[in-house]
Amino acid sequence: MTRLLILNHIHNAKQSLQSSRVRSALTMLGVTIGVASVTAILALGSGAGRVINDQINMLGGNIAVIRPGVTVNPINNITQPQNNQGYATSSLSKSDLEKLKKIKHIDLVAPLMTLGGTITADSPAPANTKILATTPELAGISNLKLREGQFLGSEINENSAVVGQQLSINLFGTESSIGSKMTIHGQTFIVVGVLKPLNNPINYNSIDFDNSVIINYSMGEKLYKNNAQIQQINVRSDSINNLDQVVKDINTVLLKNHDGEKDFSILVGDQISQPTNQLFFSIAGVTAAIAAISLFVGGIGIMNIMLVTVAERTREIGIRKALGASNTDILYQFLIESLAISVVGGIVGYIVGYAVAFIVSEFLVFSPVINWQVALTAMTISIVMGTVFGLYPAIRAARSDPIDSLNRHN
Amino acid sequence: MAITTKKTPVIKLRDLKKRFGIGDAEAYALDGVDLTIKNGEFVAIMGPSGCGKTTLLNIIGLLDRSYFGQYELDGKPVDSISRRKQAFIRSKQIGYIFQNFNLVPRLNIIENVALPLTYSGVTRVNSLIVASDILKLFHLNEREYYMPHQLSGGQIQRVAIARALVNKPTIILADEPTGNLDSRSSHIIMEELAALHSVGNTIIMVTHNANLTTYASRVITMLDGKIDTDSREMPKPEKPKHKRPKAKKTKKKLTAKLKRKKK
Repeated sequence: MTRLLILNHIHNAKQSLQSSRVRSALTMLGVTIGVASVTAILALGSGAGRVINDQINMLGGNIAVIRPGVTVNPINNITQPQNNQGYATSSLSKSDLEKLKKIKHIDLVAPLMTLGGTITADSPAPANTKILATTPELAGISNLKLREGQFLGSEINENSAVVGQQLSINLFGTESSIGSKMTIHGQTFIVVGVLKPLNNPINYNSIDFDNSVIINYSMGEKLYKNNAQIQQINVRSDSINNLDQVVKDINTVLLKNHDGEKDFSILVGDQISQPTNQLFFSIAGVTAAIAAISLFVGGIGIMNIMLVTVAERTREIGIRKALGASNTDILYQFLIESLAISVVGGIVGYIVGYAVAFIVSEFLVFSPVINWQVALTAMTISIVMGTVFGLYPAIRAARSDPIDSLNRHN
Repeated sequence: MAITTKKTPVIKLRDLKKRFGIGDAEAYALDGVDLTIKNGEFVAIMGPSGCGKTTLLNIIGLLDRSYFGQYELDGKPVDSISRRKQAFIRSKQIGYIFQNFNLVPRLNIIENVALPLTYSGVTRVNSLIVASDILKLFHLNEREYYMPHQLSGGQIQRVAIARALVNKPTIILADEPTGNLDSRSSHIIMEELAALHSVGNTIIMVTHNANLTTYASRVITMLDGKIDTDSREMPKPEKPKHKRPKAKKTKKKLTAKLKRKKK
């Protein structure tokens, strides 16, 4: 007694949905919006993940990053180097820096110190502008390339500054701003170099180099009255094989220098990009939660419409039962109808999601990724939605008493 | 048990009770019905409104499961048949004709007729072919793709009968099949039922119209949830041991009697 009614059910669902087009379309819209947002998030999220992976590869693997404080929550990690913990004193000091330089196998050491304050030039600097005080070694560690001019160096004037390309345009109205002057903390700086656009505001230094000005570490110290606040120290070992040894040595040296207090963390390899990664995942997570809400609302829409459909067709259910439909047949009939809504809505949502992702990516530094995982997720979400939210109305239909149903007036 | 007659009982009800409501509001729609219906009978069930005719029909048609008492279908107690199997029996063995036709308004005529076939596992195309064939028998083949609301009452009921017969069921249950029809259409429908009966189908028909019982082979009247009279169980007029008086003779006798009285 095998009865494959699936084709009949599909035909039936098609007929039923066509008979109330507007209603079906509006219900599908709920699913479409939910699936579209999920698709867009996933596609863009994979794109962002790709950017980070590229960066890790670019780092070459022989870089260690020292940050003040112990890493507990990776999300805090990324916020720490930024200067928004203004009144918290960094545990990294100048003496740490001097000691680090003496460790064997360390090739380059660069402290990162972001300063508060405003930049005064021809035009005011945008709000997100960073003032970074560092040593010339940063160019080597973080692979900073110059568009024109030169990077900081011991041989040139202390009052030199290197600006990002975008900042150069914002401040001076030109990309070629060498020789232009600006004032930071009452001190005049002369632009000696303009950086090549990196176009990756997401990086392990948490500094968008396109929008920052880089000054000498010694000047940074001076501006802060010799009270340096080092947010991060980048260290490069001479070879990837020596990195482990270098990390151990750094740990020993710093512990000794900090009187045995472990108030710093040393990050290598994946750990460096992890905070960025984590941040991305948490952003994606929050957006996904919003998408989940829209999916839930869309699902409620399906359930609502299916309950209306079941109520409208109570008599039909009675007739079908009298003519030999079993409860399971009725259950599947309505379940397939709700699945039809959610799957069609899901397919449209997948397409719309990618359209949105590509439009949004025009304004971002990365592009969406098309892969089977996203398609599978979108499909799974639609099927699960159709089943979960269609089940209750379908069960209600299946369980209805045939005689009551037949006596119901249309 | 040796079967003595050709006609075997298909439906056997023993002390069937159906209760509505609870406590003070308790009322019995069926209050102890004993009934045996044999294969090939055309049973007309009559009685006033609310005497339990339709309830009885629904129980026989396996639509109503909440009752007390015994119901055997083809010698098998219905209680022991699974719900799924019961649905299958409804689709294969039972044809239902309703008073208010009960076509699915959303589906066209041919799809309505093909509906029972769907549930007995016939493919869509085949079921439409079979439905088309049966509609031809009812002279409705030109209306196949009409919607139910585009047909007259008589035509709709013919569609409903076609639908009830499309699975070639052995038992046909008709709940006031002519209740909503004019007398001309009623007789057409009744002729159809009579024709079905003549080819050996069991028909159980609920009706209010005493005229229609002439088509039936057995008439049952119900009253207050019980069977009041049953034409089969009524004592048949016994054959007289002596020869009946000839009609002519009797007439003569009577006239003679009358004449004597007048005198």
